Amino acid sequence: MTAPPVLSVTGLTKSFGANLVLDGISLAVQEGETVCLLGPSGSGKSTLLRCINWLERPDSGAVFIAGERMGVRGGGNAPMSDAELSRLRMRIGFVFQHFALWPHLSVLQNVMAAPVHVQRIPRPQAQAQAEALLERVGLAARKNAYPAQLSGGQKQRVGIARALAMKPRLLLFDEPTSALDPELVGEVLAVMRDLAGAGMTMVVVTHEMGFARDAADRVVFMDHGRVVETGPPDVFFERPQTDRARQFLMRYAGRAAVPASLAGTAGAGGLA
Amino acid sequence: MNTAGLLTLAAGAGETFGISMLAILLGTPLGLLLGLVRWARVPLADPIVAVVVSLLRATPSVTLVLLVYFALPTLGLEIPRFAAAVATLTLGSMAFNCEIWRGALLAFPADQLDAARACGMRRGQRLRLIVLPQIMRASLPALVNEMTLLIKVSPAVAVIGVVDLTRAAVRIGAQTYRPLPPFLVILAVYVVIIGGFVLAQRMLERRVAGAGA
Repeated sequence: MTAPPVLSVTGLTKSFGANLVLDGISLAVQEGETVCLLGPSGSGKSTLLRCINWLERPDSGAVFIAGERMGVRGGGNAPMSDAELSRLRMRIGFVFQHFALWPHLSVLQNVMAAPVHVQRIPRPQAQAQAEALLERVGLAARKNAYPAQLSGGQKQRVGIARALAMKPRLLLFDEPTSALDPELVGEVLAVMRDLAGAGMTMVVVTHEMGFARDAADRVVFMDHGRVVETGPPDVFFERPQTDRARQFLMRYAGRAAVPASLAGTAGAGGLA
Repeated sequence: MNTAGLLTLAAGAGETFGISMLAILLGTPLGLLLGLVRWARVPLADPIVAVVVSLLRATPSVTLVLLVYFALPTLGLEIPRFAAAVATLTLGSMAFNCEIWRGALLAFPADQLDAARACGMRRGQRLRLIVLPQIMRASLPALVNEMTLLIKVSPAVAVIGVVDLTRAAVRIGAQTYRPLPPFLVILAVYVVIIGGFVLAQRMLERRVAGAGA
């Protein structure tokens, strides 16, 4: 008897006003998989991520976390209470594009806050765990600093440590390096590669094609709220099946080498 | 100005200080409560609070204190002068504080709340651990502003017969035909009281300065 996938999204639809952002999208992620969501701006990638842990409420469709229905009480259509949502959200770690650290708390306190207050782990134990996590992301020396004193890359690594503190089954990354100076991107990607290699189940929205190529088990290409193409990274980057994927790779994959198969095509914008 | 005059002034200072402090201690947390009700858009309560706050902000203190003291008894509610004075100043302070707190809450960065939700914090925890510590610091200047305004508007309670500091000075001036000495004294007293608040604010700000950002 196989375990249910860590994440299962079926037929998710979401509109903001007249704008249809998610158009009946479905996705399944197995334990240990690293899935990269790629696509042009406005394709709905961030909205999809935010619907998974119910930071946004989809208009229709379902999200299952390790077989448990998210956001809606099993069976009926009654929305979950704050407390029920809290319980499920503990299983999901979320890393934000703009870090979203709490500025009035130190680095150590940021990482400890959820284990102490939500999981009710005793302080000494939570502190030891937090220090171990900070060690893992390379920031043990800055544990008593405040977020305002850190660089962007350091802040994001604290964000990752904070997301890991709850020992989640699934980690969601919403463009984790988009707000960083280029020199600082590497240190964050290194931590993420590490996590992927250690068998963490991750869904990453990113524009870092190099990371997607190296670390992803699967790439999901989205456009206009739908999955357009999905497959292993080497297939997607070398032999894209659909026109839209080809167009996207021509325009956005500037940092990774343009695959040989596309080199001869008359480009519309080249590296726009 | 003789000893009797000074005693009158001292009694007046006591009234002003007592009424103001009570109104501040009541009005600040009540304002927070109302601000939270409006920010959370609590059904039914939100629009009621909005209307009440608008009316209170539009009502001058003198008018309000007259209404509270003279109009309430017609509805069967008789309250002593001191209580009416405290209630009036509290209501006004509460209304303005509601807007101060609400402004801070509206300006609060949404992604910090998202992060708190994503970590599994429930509404009460988000408020207690993440929101309140930060908005208290951010709102401090505006709140102390409001407190000093309250003290300066407190002479309004004289119309219902409370002998506050200013009224006491007027009385002495009227009796001795030399208004300047008592007025200078009360100016000094007001400056000391309000200066005390400003000093306390600066001390508090310095103490919380460790957390940067």
